[in-house]
Amino acid sequence: MKRASAQYPFAAIVSIVVASLLCLWGSFESYDLKSTYQQQHSDPYLANQFARFEPLLSAVPERAELGYLTDTRPGSPAGPAMLLSAQYVLAPRLLEKGTQQEWVLGNFTRPADFTALGQSYGLRLQQDFGNGVVLFGKDH
Amino acid sequence: MSPIWMLEAILLGCLLVCRFTDLPGIRPMWARLFLIFGAGAAGGVGLTSCLFFLVGVLLGAPIAAMALELALVAWAGYEVFRRRTPVFQPDEGARLPLLFPLAAVILLLALGLAAMTAWTASEANPQGNWDAWAIWNLRAKFLASGAGLAQRAWSPVLAATTHPEYPLLLSSFVGRCWAFGHSFATSVPAATSFVFFLALIALAAGGVAALRGPALGFLIALALASTPRLLHEVSAQYADVPLACFFVGALVFALLDRHALAGVFAGFAAWTKDEGLLFLLLFLVATAVFKRRVALVTLAGALPIGAVAIFFKVVLSRGNASLLSASLPGAVHRIAIAGRYIKIIAAFGHEALAMAPGWYHPILPLIVLAAVLRFDRERRRDAAFCGVILGALLLGYFGIFILTANDLDWQLQTSLSRLLVQVWPALVLTAFIALRPPVATATVQPAPAPKARKKARR
Repeated sequence: MKRASAQYPFAAIVSIVVASLLCLWGSFESYDLKSTYQQQHSDPYLANQFARFEPLLSAVPERAELGYLTDTRPGSPAGPAMLLSAQYVLAPRLLEKGTQQEWVLGNFTRPADFTALGQSYGLRLQQDFGNGVVLFGKDH
Repeated sequence: MSPIWMLEAILLGCLLVCRFTDLPGIRPMWARLFLIFGAGAAGGVGLTSCLFFLVGVLLGAPIAAMALELALVAWAGYEVFRRRTPVFQPDEGARLPLLFPLAAVILLLALGLAAMTAWTASEANPQGNWDAWAIWNLRAKFLASGAGLAQRAWSPVLAATTHPEYPLLLSSFVGRCWAFGHSFATSVPAATSFVFFLALIALAAGGVAALRGPALGFLIALALASTPRLLHEVSAQYADVPLACFFVGALVFALLDRHALAGVFAGFAAWTKDEGLLFLLLFLVATAVFKRRVALVTLAGALPIGAVAIFFKVVLSRGNASLLSASLPGAVHRIAIAGRYIKIIAAFGHEALAMAPGWYHPILPLIVLAAVLRFDRERRRDAAFCGVILGALLLGYFGIFILTANDLDWQLQTSLSRLLVQVWPALVLTAFIALRPPVATATVQPAPAPKARKKARR
């Protein structure tokens, strides 16, 4: 039998116990922090986007590259959030800002005369899916 | 079905670690199992990510990637079975004191709380935080779509709003699970993040237990499992926790003299994030300086995965400017602004202090242990090896903040806390490696030999 019994010095035992209890305190703090954070930051970007773009998914093939038109002010924080959340939901379809593509996604925050808006960009309204989601086509 | 493919990757990793490394020789046994799980889980994710990217995406044959993986699992499983050793080999050395079951219970409690935290967060935010869906999971969706659509993951069109130039380990792995499972299950990125968290803890605990004894092994596991900022990033589903895991893995295996495996982990870091490329470079330089004899072995380990990362950056995504190259115009002017240095130093200090809410700070357990156990002079070289790499890495991050053309306040606010999370576990590892193990100061009383016992009875 080669085993030996090791007696740790009292100070070492105390330090191990204190360090362990401190870690446990940290675990509870982490849980508290995360619970509070989730209550304050619960999915602010994507919550409604899957439902908004659902009808568009069946209308546009996966291979499509779509232009992108929006009414958010240039430089406003809402602009990138709306574009990226639309891109995430619609992937693998690719969105590119501008109206050069055969199809153009309209992603709007307010109701408007989308037919007239499209015409001002040389686009024809193909379908209004509601909730500010509009599909335009090139007006040949 | 998608999460099953995650388990298959972990199984493949563990089998390959058992087959190709001599980790089974490590004592104590629980440290060995921790290291096999940690290396197997993180390595399995990394390896299958690379295989899917090379075969499934670049060659356009995801079925071939799947078949190759399954063949590897079957072969590695057979090899491990064929070379199996007795399952239980009792550890020699000091008997574990009563303190250890207590520490194990506290560790389980901490891990349980971490799991609950991650679960609550993924219920509230199934797609993860901003960068998760805007970068990592978005690109995973492209990679999973195949049929010529995968290339969109690094399309310059995305450069206007996201980062198509970032390396693809995480996205490729999530995309692989989605492609093989034919569903975009949100459980895959969430579980992947948690697996990396567990692998990080397992690697650190196993490594420290093997090098500095079981008491410190348990304590580093506890210290990491209870770090609030680290746990916050786990549920974010970003690539920072995987990167932290690969940093720790590379350092642990370098200290355990498993240099090829250390190189492989440094290579995985490069395939995870741009910061990993800097880590790979620093790791190879530090190895050449501190461990010259094994520099070539480490380089050989790092080369295959590092080459995939460099090929991606140089060839595939070359049209997309990285943060560094976008920062070069006007950099000379920004370098000369003293106020930027002060602001960045203040932000580093603030973030380091704000790693937890309230009165708790993850450095507190370390201070308690260091005050009583003190540091071990014999481990100075190991600590210096890790410290030099991590110090240079932090200096590199500091330099990027100095150079960046983006708004400095915004850049600091959105990235500094995550950069510290990448490095924090490796810094904790360095401190634990330098500590004197409690048993070093213990009174060890050898158990009497059988003959002596008999005499004593008479």
